[in-house]
Formats: sequence, structure tokens, C-alpha cells
Amino acid sequence: MATLMIGAFYNPHLGAELARATGIDHLAMADPPAPSDPYWPKVRERYTLLLHDYLGQLSEPLDGRAIERARALAALYRTPWVAEHFQCLHTEDGTYNLNYVLPPLYTEEFLARFVANANALKARLDQPLVMENIPGFFDVKASQLSEPTWLRRFFEATGTGFLLDLPHVWLEAHYQGMKPERWLAEFPLEHVVELHVAGVEEDEDLKGLWIAPAEPSVEMLDFLAHAVAHCPQAKAVTFDAFSPSLTSDVLFRSVERIRAVL
Amino acid sequence: MSDRALQDRVIRALADAPYRASPEWRRQELADPERLERYARFLARHFYHERIAHFFKYSRALARVTGRRPDAVLKRPAFETLLPTAVLGSRETARAVARLVVEHVASAEPAVPIPYLRDLLRYEEAMMVAEAGPRVWREDTMEQGVGGGEWDVPVTVEGTVLLELAYDLPTVLPKLLQSWTEPPTAPRKATKLLVARSRHGRVAVARGDEAVAAVVKLADGKRTLAELARSAGLEVATLEETLKGLTELGAVRFSTGS
Repeated sequence: MATLMIGAFYNPHLGAELARATGIDHLAMADPPAPSDPYWPKVRERYTLLLHDYLGQLSEPLDGRAIERARALAALYRTPWVAEHFQCLHTEDGTYNLNYVLPPLYTEEFLARFVANANALKARLDQPLVMENIPGFFDVKASQLSEPTWLRRFFEATGTGFLLDLPHVWLEAHYQGMKPERWLAEFPLEHVVELHVAGVEEDEDLKGLWIAPAEPSVEMLDFLAHAVAHCPQAKAVTFDAFSPSLTSDVLFRSVERIRAVL
Repeated sequence: MSDRALQDRVIRALADAPYRASPEWRRQELADPERLERYARFLARHFYHERIAHFFKYSRALARVTGRRPDAVLKRPAFETLLPTAVLGSRETARAVARLVVEHVASAEPAVPIPYLRDLLRYEEAMMVAEAGPRVWREDTMEQGVGGGEWDVPVTVEGTVLLELAYDLPTVLPKLLQSWTEPPTAPRKATKLLVARSRHGRVAVARGDEAVAAVVKLADGKRTLAELARSAGLEVATLEETLKGLTELGAVRFSTGS
């Protein structure tokens, strides 16, 4: 396995600290830099930047405007790969939008849609495309395939990379009452290019654990070490926290602890 | 029914509380209702947290003087009361949530008076309400609902608002987001601000003048350019220039007039 890059998300409110930080190899960019961000030039100069914006949902083809935006951001960041998510969060007519993660139905029809639209996007990019798994909090009875099977078929059909979000896998295992390692083993880990890791916290609405901009627990870090050992093509691990409430202490300590377990 | 249409039903159930409670949704038995409800409530709080954080960021910057954080309403009983009727992204729910924030912040008794606070809250509320509503996600759906024919009848886009304020807010807004010890002041000066949204959901603000005010009020999708110029008391050239700016902002679009 090549040397892993260890990084975090660019949180603009921590721009001053990130611009002078050491021990961080890369920053993932969830939003374009604000024109008034004084730290952006330094950040761009210092770091490998990973494009991790919302480009569009691949249940539909991206239009020319979205593709041009993706290309422009990829060029601005000089990103080694471009990331999108397996999600379908707004209705086709644009009336309803959840503005948060929701996986597609794991069906043949959605598989065909995602394969076709990912291939079309890939053909327009100058960098490889990687796709991130999204957790489900509830099952929809219309799904026909298990998530890992659906993902495996997607990656085999497209040749795209896998951005493995470990807390997402961990949460699904948690809610299914499974050991995370057992659930993880079903995923197509040979396609993983990048891993995300973060903390989970109790949420009052969900009445259970969910992803949070918090430090990963010891258990989550052990899970990360286990996962990395089973991802032979992995190139990067990113502390997945992007929130105005994130403190620099949490970000830097998390990156340090991630590095320590790998 | 296609799987895509089925997914749309799930999305709607998560976004639209009355639909989620309806027999139409429930008899489909697509998901565990209790878990779906929990996720829907989680999404609602997240959805409006993002919008309050974005649109009420200036009030948030003043919270150390007012003692009122705009996002505090999300943990208050009045927000819980809204949830059974909330439709994420609808103008009605945006208006109701924004109203909660305005009432919460406006009831502050700051140690240092902030004379423009009422104007500021009106501005932030207008931004949040303007952003709501269906949006175009892909270019090829842009022309839906518009028939063929000549595009020469301007109409003010729903949600466009012309605010008439007592203070010159644009001069103070950037200062509020910088570091300060005493709250920045705004000149007392009658100011018109136009708040509009593009079809892609981008909210924009511009200073307005009498021509803008007249066009926004009179562009009803029925008056032709000549009729609009006459009604607004504008030269056609001035009207065309004004319309160009308003169209770029998303405040006015052209329809067939049919």
C-alpha cells in the first residue's frame, strides 16, 4: 500500500490555524472558498485539496452547468480525484428537497441510473471520480439489493473509486445489531481510494447515535485501522467534520489520533 | 410506478409532515413509520438550522449584545408545535420559522441600543422567505410550465420583495461580521432593497429605486412592455434597462402572457 495521506476538511472559520498547521497532508473542500477568505491563497498553495462539493445527484444526469462547475472547481483545487455521493435527496420536479443525506433505493433501476450518469460525468472530468456511501436510518421496502451488493455492481460497471465513509458503515451496523467489521466485510473494499472517519453522538430527534463533528472514539479509530488494512488501494484518510461549531482543538487532535493508529 | 417515482414519495414523506400523516402515504407501508418520523424531525431541525445560520447571520453576530441567538428557536416549544404542519422548503414554513426567529430576537432588551435591529430582522426574514419554494435543479427543466410564443410580458417572480427601510443597512452588514467591541452603526436614511431569488435558489439583494419599485409592483404578466412603461411613467429605454437588471437578479421573468 502506498503512503496514506491524512487530512481533514477545510473549515473556513479555522482558516488561520489551517494555513499555518503542520501534520495535515490534505484538505477536502466541501464549499468553494469565499472571495473574502484571507487564508484561501495560503491554503491553496500549501495543501493537496480534494474536491468534495455537492455537484448534483447522480440519479439524474448532471447538466452542462453542473459539469462545468465541477470542472472549474477541480481545476481550481488541482484535485487528484473528484467526489460525489450515492444520494437522491430532492424530487425530480424540484418541489421537495431534504438538504441532507438520503440514499437511493437499492434497486436495478437506480443502479442503471447511477451507472449511466456516473459514466457520463466521469467522461467529462480530467480526474478520477470517487463515490461515497450514504447511511440509511430506515429501510425502504422497495429496495431489491443489499447496499454492499448494489455498490459492488456499481463500481464494477463504472470503474470509479470508492470513498468509504466508515462512520456510515458503523452506524448501519449499530442499528442492525451487527459487528461493524462483519458488515464492512461485505463492501467492495478493493475499490476504496479514500476513507472518511469522524465521531458519532446521540441525537435527540433520532433517539440514537448519528454522525457528528466530534472526535472519533477509540472504537472508531480501531475500526479505521481494521478497515485500512483491508483497503489495498487506499490513498487518503480524511477527518470528516465540516461545521461552524467545529473547534481547532478537535480537528487537530483528531488528525493526530488518526495518524497514530495507522 | 418507477423506482424514481417511489423515491420521490419517500422524499416527500420526509419533507412534508401532513403528507407523512396522511392515509395516502401510510397505506403504502414503505417504511417503519416511527423511524421515518424520527428521521423527518431530525431533517427538519437540520434544514432550518442551516437556513437560520445563513440568513440570520447578522443577528447572530449581534447576539452578544442582544443575548438572543437566532438558532435558539429550534429548541423551543413553538418550533416543536410547527413540526406537524412543516413542509421543508415551502414558503409557508419558511415564513413561520423566520417569524419565530424575528419574535425571539426582537424581544431582546440589549444593553446597547441597536436602532436598526427591526430593519435588520425584516431584511433577514425576507431573505429566508425568498429562498423557499421549488427550484430548478437541472437546466433542461427550466422551461417547464412556460408555453411557446413570444416572451415579451414581464412578471414579478413570486417571493420577490421590495423592502423599504429606515436605515441604510448595506453599509453596516459587512461590519457586523468583522470584529467589533461596540455594535457598528448604520446611517438613518430611507433605503429600498430588492430581495429576489433565481430559479436555482440563489438569493440576491440589490438597492432599489423608484423605477425598480414601480416595475416590481406593476409587472403582472399581463401588461406588455409598452403598457408597463406607460403605467410606471418610465421611458421605454429606462424600463428595458431596469428589466435587464431585475431579470439578472431573478426578480422578474418573461412569460408568454397567455
